[in-house]
Amino acid sequence: MIISRRDALVVGAVGLLPLLANIIGAGQTWAAQEIDTKGILHDPDAPESGNPKGNLTIVSFFDYNCPFCKRAEPDLEKVVKEDGKIRLVYKDWPILTEASVYGAQIALGAKYQGKYLIAHNALMSVPGSKNDKATMTKAVQAAGVDMERLEADIHANADAISGLLHRTHAQAESMGLMGTPVYLIGQFKVAAALDAAKFREVVAQARQRQAGR
Amino acid sequence: MPSRLLPAALFVVLFSILPGLIAPAQVAAAETSRPPFTLSAGRGGDGNLLLTWNIGDGNYLYRDKIKVVASSVDIPVSTPPGDIKDDVNFGSVEVYHRTLQATIEGSALKGADEASVTFQGCSERGICFPPMTRIVDLATLQVRTEGNAAKATAVEPAFAAWKPSLPSEPVASQSSGFPEFSGLPAGWGMLIISFLGFGLLLAFTPCVLPMVPILAGILARSREPLSAIRGFALSTTYAVAMASAYAVLGVVAAWSGQNLQIALQTPYALGFMATVYVVLALSSFGLFELRMPAFATAGALNAPRGTIGAFAGAATLGFTSALIVGPCVTPPLAAALLYVGQTGDIARGATALFALGLGMGLPLILAGTFGSSILPRSGAWLLATRQLFGVLFLGVAALLIGRIVPPAISLAIWAALLIGAGVFLGAFDPLRHRAGAVVRLRKTGGILAAIYGVALLVGAAAGANDPLRPLAFASSGSIDHRGLPVRTINSPAALDEAMRDARSQGRIVMIDYSAEWCTACKTFERDVLASPDIQRKLDGITVVRADVTATNKDTTDLMRRYDVVGPPTLVFVSPRNGEEIRSARSVGDTSVADFGRKIDLAIR
Repeated sequence: MIISRRDALVVGAVGLLPLLANIIGAGQTWAAQEIDTKGILHDPDAPESGNPKGNLTIVSFFDYNCPFCKRAEPDLEKVVKEDGKIRLVYKDWPILTEASVYGAQIALGAKYQGKYLIAHNALMSVPGSKNDKATMTKAVQAAGVDMERLEADIHANADAISGLLHRTHAQAESMGLMGTPVYLIGQFKVAAALDAAKFREVVAQARQRQAGR
Repeated sequence: MPSRLLPAALFVVLFSILPGLIAPAQVAAAETSRPPFTLSAGRGGDGNLLLTWNIGDGNYLYRDKIKVVASSVDIPVSTPPGDIKDDVNFGSVEVYHRTLQATIEGSALKGADEASVTFQGCSERGICFPPMTRIVDLATLQVRTEGNAAKATAVEPAFAAWKPSLPSEPVASQSSGFPEFSGLPAGWGMLIISFLGFGLLLAFTPCVLPMVPILAGILARSREPLSAIRGFALSTTYAVAMASAYAVLGVVAAWSGQNLQIALQTPYALGFMATVYVVLALSSFGLFELRMPAFATAGALNAPRGTIGAFAGAATLGFTSALIVGPCVTPPLAAALLYVGQTGDIARGATALFALGLGMGLPLILAGTFGSSILPRSGAWLLATRQLFGVLFLGVAALLIGRIVPPAISLAIWAALLIGAGVFLGAFDPLRHRAGAVVRLRKTGGILAAIYGVALLVGAAAGANDPLRPLAFASSGSIDHRGLPVRTINSPAALDEAMRDARSQGRIVMIDYSAEWCTACKTFERDVLASPDIQRKLDGITVVRADVTATNKDTTDLMRRYDVVGPPTLVFVSPRNGEEIRSARSVGDTSVADFGRKIDLAIR
């Protein structure tokens, strides 16, 4: 591949971080020309948390039957919280199992009663890679989501939900993502589960790069 | 990211040409972009099917996610025990590292042609991949990717709106060997090398194949004794002329925005070229000697008579055959022409095209140089060879005429040619009792040609139009294309109307740019468009065929509207905003699998 000056910079930055060198996707920035950067960062339907005015955005692509996503989730939440200036975007990308689609639909449906994060956290805290729909329903219900309203909301907003899932899928494909989790941290694409220390490191690197531009 | 795709594609090209010259590091880089599992199939001694997975380092497959389906039935698979992985986030799962061999009893697969194998795994660095499905052809044991993985996860009716189509392959599929690109490589060296490479890839397609007999004919007509050097010189002349013709295409595109190849598909140009080939053929049969006019040779008094003529002839035929005989719209050609049209950068566009043409001609030069020694030097054999090429020249003429006359007449012309060839081969001459094998083979060939000719003649009389299936009308009369209605239009106004109709129904429009003279379009219609898979996928899509056979303002406008260089090009238009879904465009020759992926992109 021909390496542009911009890419060379990234490769250099990553070179300083031998620890991370193998997890930051080949030193590539994810925001290439053909990619709908705005849609990825600012889809009006995609749930968000953290600081909406933060100076760094993390976009998380995950699946509710993805064990690595579940392992990294508490650390990610922790770093976002302690940092205070990170905006976190949730991209439900159900690709691993059939039940994952259902999980994404009930989580996104809970948004209409203001409980996306509650449902999301409930689903992320069920361990394992082969949870079925019943297990997911139970987890969401136990977390306090109004199930009758959820069902009605999902039916009423079926198009919006499936539209969002389609967009997320298209965005993931346009970046060539191969599986979950993937975290877009500033300019970096990290296709791996990180722990808190590594999240912090990449966040710091991403800020440095933003400042350097 | 066009400028980055191209070098990647270049590697694909180089791999196919120069295996072993690329450093292993680049191979590794390419591998990170696809899932680290490869499946191969084999047969055990007892008729069992053996499935073997190679699992990349640091990755694993789940035991309980391996699933095999044949003829819509789950097939029992025996797998060895795996490693137990116990983790608070995973629960307890059984996984395989590095390699796995699973066995399926031969009896379980009786009567099935294919087995679909689904599997799923993760990488230890912390990423899980969606289920992957591969199809194993049970006859050949070839493993291929499934066209559309969506059906693996049929969502139950509860909230079934979304059907994920799983990314089982990288987005930019390069299986055709060509990238989807719209720019040109930045450096001159890269530009030339990559287009030479693309040309080489095209060298064995129908774009170049018709030129082989033409070149061979030129060599056989040579009056000098044909040495390897002379063969090299003549074929190089031919190839360079061909490459120059491509460069001229670039220049003309910059001036007029038109693809000259297509502008030349007129009855006059085709008729003229057909005449040239008929004349060449007759001369090959020895009816008269062709001599270049005096002014062409006057400048080279020292050169032996005929030499200049032969080279001028080779150059003329090379130039014209690139323009008229083999009009082939291919992705690299389209990219270069569009680039020229949009930037007006004649130098780069013409250079790219020259390199493309030269790449296409390289194998011809090799064949001309080394094949020369095979051609007979004198005597009866030389005569026979010349006559053979005479027939081939007539074939080229028939090919050209076939583009401007109705299919039935074209069939009749071929019939005449074949029957004529049969007669000259001695199909109807009595065989002497003591005749040798050669004579008998000759007569066999003659009879075969004559019979095929008669079949074509019958087919023509019955209104058939496919020279390979002239008698198809006899079998239940189902020559018509199955399935979808296709609306044929040939003006922008008609296209607008068709688009309005489709848009009011919220349907995607597929515009199929096609022309009578476009062989690749016919192949596409017969082999790709008519396939049941494609027909199913096109169910919700309105198919409009833009017939650009004629070259006039209407057809030029039709092509210009979507920056189409020529047929075959398939353009998908979204009903939402009336704009093209660019990722789904298909240019040039394609396959059911590739085109299926394009449709998936369009309907996503």
